[in-house]
Amino acid sequence: MKGLHFNIHTKIIAGYLFILICLVISLLIVMNRMSAMQQEVDFVSQHDIEVHNLANQIQKNVLDMETGMRGYVITGNEEYLEPYHTASRNWLDNFNKLHSLLASNGSQQRNLDEIKPLIQKWFTNSAENVVNQKKINNQAALDQHFNNNKGKKMTDELRAHFDSFLENQNKLTSKRVEQLNQDNNNLKITLYGLIIVVTLITIATAVFLANSIVNTIKQVVRTIKNVTDSRETEVDLSTRIEVSTHDETRELAEAMNELLSSLEKQNWVQKGVAEISTMYQGMTDLTELTHAFITKLTPMLDAVYGVVYLRKSQGSEVRYVKEAGYALVSEEAAGVSFGLGEGLIGQAAMDQRIFLIDNLPEEHFKVSSGLGKSSPRNLLVAPILVDGRVEAVVEIAAFQPFMAQHLTLLDLLQDKFGSAITNVAGRMEVERLLGESQVLTEELQAQSEELQAQSEELQMQQEQLRITNEYLEEQKQYAEQRAFELKKAKDELEEYSRKLQLSSQYKTDFLANMSHELRTPLNSILILSQMLMENDEEMDNSEVKDSSRVIYTAGSDLLRLIDDILDLSKIEAGKIEILTDEVNVTEIPQMMKNMFNPVAAKKNLNFEVHTAANVPAVITTDGQRLQQIWKNLLSNAFKFTEQGSVTVNIEHACREKVEELLPGLDEEEFVLAISVSDTGIGIAKEKQEIIFNAFQQVDGTTNRQFGGTGLGLSICREFTRLLGGAITVESEPEKGSTFTLYIPGRLEGADYALQLEQLAQNEVAVSVIEIEEQLPVNEEPETPEEIEAEASDDDQLFKGKKVLLAEDDRRNVFALVTALEKKGVKVQVAENGKSAIELLQKQADFDLVFMDIMMPVMGGYEAMKVIREDLGMERLPIIALTAKAMKGERDKCMEAGASDYIMKPLNINQLFSLMRVWLTQQVNEE
Amino acid sequence: MNNTTKETLTEINLLEPNELEEIEIKLLLEGLYQMYGYDFRSYVRGSIGRRILYRMKAERLPTITALLEKVLHEPGVLERLLNDFSIRMTEMYRDPSFFAAFRNEVVPLLRDLPEIRIWHAGCATGEEVYSMAILLKEEGLLEKARIYATDMNEKALQAAQKGAFPLKKMQQYTKNYLKAGGKMAFSEYYTADHQFAYFSSSLNEKLTFAQHNLVSDSSFNEFHVILCRNVMIYFDNALQQQVHGLFYESLADGGFIGLGSKESILSMPKGMKYAEFNSTEKIYRKKVDA
Repeated sequence: MKGLHFNIHTKIIAGYLFILICLVISLLIVMNRMSAMQQEVDFVSQHDIEVHNLANQIQKNVLDMETGMRGYVITGNEEYLEPYHTASRNWLDNFNKLHSLLASNGSQQRNLDEIKPLIQKWFTNSAENVVNQKKINNQAALDQHFNNNKGKKMTDELRAHFDSFLENQNKLTSKRVEQLNQDNNNLKITLYGLIIVVTLITIATAVFLANSIVNTIKQVVRTIKNVTDSRETEVDLSTRIEVSTHDETRELAEAMNELLSSLEKQNWVQKGVAEISTMYQGMTDLTELTHAFITKLTPMLDAVYGVVYLRKSQGSEVRYVKEAGYALVSEEAAGVSFGLGEGLIGQAAMDQRIFLIDNLPEEHFKVSSGLGKSSPRNLLVAPILVDGRVEAVVEIAAFQPFMAQHLTLLDLLQDKFGSAITNVAGRMEVERLLGESQVLTEELQAQSEELQAQSEELQMQQEQLRITNEYLEEQKQYAEQRAFELKKAKDELEEYSRKLQLSSQYKTDFLANMSHELRTPLNSILILSQMLMENDEEMDNSEVKDSSRVIYTAGSDLLRLIDDILDLSKIEAGKIEILTDEVNVTEIPQMMKNMFNPVAAKKNLNFEVHTAANVPAVITTDGQRLQQIWKNLLSNAFKFTEQGSVTVNIEHACREKVEELLPGLDEEEFVLAISVSDTGIGIAKEKQEIIFNAFQQVDGTTNRQFGGTGLGLSICREFTRLLGGAITVESEPEKGSTFTLYIPGRLEGADYALQLEQLAQNEVAVSVIEIEEQLPVNEEPETPEEIEAEASDDDQLFKGKKVLLAEDDRRNVFALVTALEKKGVKVQVAENGKSAIELLQKQADFDLVFMDIMMPVMGGYEAMKVIREDLGMERLPIIALTAKAMKGERDKCMEAGASDYIMKPLNINQLFSLMRVWLTQQVNEE
Repeated sequence: MNNTTKETLTEINLLEPNELEEIEIKLLLEGLYQMYGYDFRSYVRGSIGRRILYRMKAERLPTITALLEKVLHEPGVLERLLNDFSIRMTEMYRDPSFFAAFRNEVVPLLRDLPEIRIWHAGCATGEEVYSMAILLKEEGLLEKARIYATDMNEKALQAAQKGAFPLKKMQQYTKNYLKAGGKMAFSEYYTADHQFAYFSSSLNEKLTFAQHNLVSDSSFNEFHVILCRNVMIYFDNALQQQVHGLFYESLADGGFIGLGSKESILSMPKGMKYAEFNSTEKIYRKKVDA
């Protein structure tokens, strides 16, 4: 169907017309055929009937003539001649009519022609003759005639002719009817044929029409689907619908194609905008930004040359300075800068509009490649507007003319590029300022440090000056100085003697105490012995005995006291040897009874010793020391009990008690508990601890009332410790006391001895500190010479610094105080947080605080918080003393306000290092 | 240097009467470079200018040219000037939050490495180097770590090698250490006399101090961590880019780079090759090449 350019409208109408024409033609054919048949039928029905009628008429005419003639002849009545005459007048007419009817049929005409002479012959020869004879009444002729029978032969012949004629005619008619039937059948066949042909034509036309319309529409649809169904996310807008027809579908396709190309342009613009806009992200440099922009934009606009001019203001003058270019021939090729209104660049900036110039003269400028140079003929100058201000101007040149979408793209980019420029410029500025501020800060810091260094240097110089001055003065006052030195030496000597006095004060006091203890028995010994010496026989024997006994008792008391002191000092010196041996526990009750039954009897006291069943028979320990301990306890019990009883229980120590008192001990270890209960004077709660200290009894009068050195319990406790055990007291005044001795069932020999040595040394410390606490003056442990020799900057750092030590553990306190005082640090001790705070409130000039964390009454965290918050001492360095570092504890320390922390066990060097840090004046502290 | 127009203007106005001075500064820097090879020509001009002026006044000289003369003819002056140039304020655990972030976020990722190489570029007197060593020790990583601490200033390096820091700053350092999440007592790591705290030599075993000039020297190893904090703020843009190129080259894939709080790597051409690991503490991680 190519080349036939019909639209769908025409196609449909033409199709219908074609079908209609086919129908009309077939209808005409059928009509034609039908009218032909009708003619045939008419012919058969009219012509043949007429022929028959006429033939019959002629026969009747002949019959009428014969009948009339015969009637006349017979009757002679003229009336019979009437039909005869009518028939003789009519028959020829009928004959001629029939003849003319049979004109188409030669053979029948000929048959008919044969009949005519027969009738005429009969008429003339027979009928006319008869009638005429009659008229003349010629009977004979008549009779002769009828006798001849001439007339009858003629009518028979005539009849025979007529019969054959009619028979022929009938044959003819039936033949025609048959022909008619045949025709009818033919017509039916023709009709069916036509229906089939027309149907086929109609279907063919419909199919062709439908195809020619639908095919193009399908093509359009297929193309649109191709456009939209592309698998990539981006729709391929470059496809176009191809149509070969020239109908409305083509118009549709063309409209679609137009839509596509407009979409493509729009898409191109959007893509361009997006591509260039995303490019800005992360850019922090204007040159980079403008360069990226022009490099991207120029090829996008199919241009070959591009420059970006950026707005730079110098005072009131605004210039647009070339910042980046694309395909620049050389630096000179593009003007470096333009003022407002200067050249096209300046004009575009001033008018804030786009300049589009076509057909540049060839010599305007040339773009060169390696092979040659050519001139772009189209120039585009576009200002980049931000908030009504032209921030930049873009100049682009191309060989081809710029298209509408190029301008749209540029128009859309204007805003984005403009704001990108301001953004980047802003960011650069912020970065620059940040950097500058950082540099300035650093410099300031550096300078302030330097200033400080300078001021220190100045101070040093001043110091040097002063020293020089002093030196000069010293030179001048040499003699004076010597005198001064002498005086100083004297002063020093005095100081030494004072210190010596101080140091001897301890010993003096200790001795004073000791001497008090020694003097008491000595006093009685001396007095009594003097009395005995001056005995002038006034004394009777019993008096002498009594005195001697008292002297003896006092002497043995003294001896015991000296033994005790020696024991104690031996323990303290770590010189007691522990001899482990197997001790038979079952023997102990007997030994006790042997020893103390007499005393019990004497004081009239009930004395009982119970041994529990589950106590093992043998334990390994130092039997002698053990005996010394229980002996001591028992003698105390008997000493302080006036009435009632003394009870000893030997049993298996209960587990909880052991864990509490002897935490280091193996759980499986058997521990023997020996408790000594009395019903004596008892000990008040607050005194229960100090009774174990040397020279301490419940009160000063006790000694005198009950005797004893007051060292017994101290020794007991030390021995107990040596045996790895513990001793406790439970007591109520006026009701009695119970001392319980816990001794492990197995005392290890060698290993333990070493431990004991250390333990003993610790105990020395404790004992000494206890002594020191009792004595009013604390002695410097070092000799003055040593102090003098070590005088250094480091000592300057420590000397005279006041340190507050909040710590409840006496051993730690002792160790720290000793160490710190060696350095010349003044230490004050607080037993808990609360007393530390009280001390700080009283005296705020401490340089450093050591704060233990676990303390009774008020712990370290709370104390630090109070110091920082309530006392407002924010700058006071507080060093937390923590047990082994745990992260939680460390954080809590910091949170509570500790400046630093140090972990136990303390390392003395670390401690001093830390103190040096915290005692040094800091640079940035005001 | 690209400034927005307004600021260019003010700068021009400021500098215009001092054009001569500008030329003198250029000459001095050029002279330094030609004579001794120290290249400060790409340093931020404002800062270096102020330092030159400071040195000029300190030496009681009338002009920068006079200072140039002294620098060329009296070696002592050169040393003082160089010291002025490379004054870097540094402290132990400077910006404690940085070290805390390093400890909590970076260290877990370093744990599996068989060996950890750290480059501390521009270490100055070494405070941060020791800080890092202590941090690694507490995390149990010091044994397999090696810290290369470099600076262009030999004097500073000598000081750094000693690991002795003035007592008068130690209280601040202690606070920083604690803020940076220190796990022990800070005093465990130093012994002090009346002037300095000396950091223990056990830390020093894993430290290598070497002179290295970021401006002129090239990369010398591949590192897992590079620290260069508050060094590049003194460099101009081009030099910063050059140094970042050097770092990029020296950093292993997936390695970390730590910068000063006012610095950023993302504006650099190589910036896209790093992922922001901790943006507030300026820790970046080199992307693994696909």
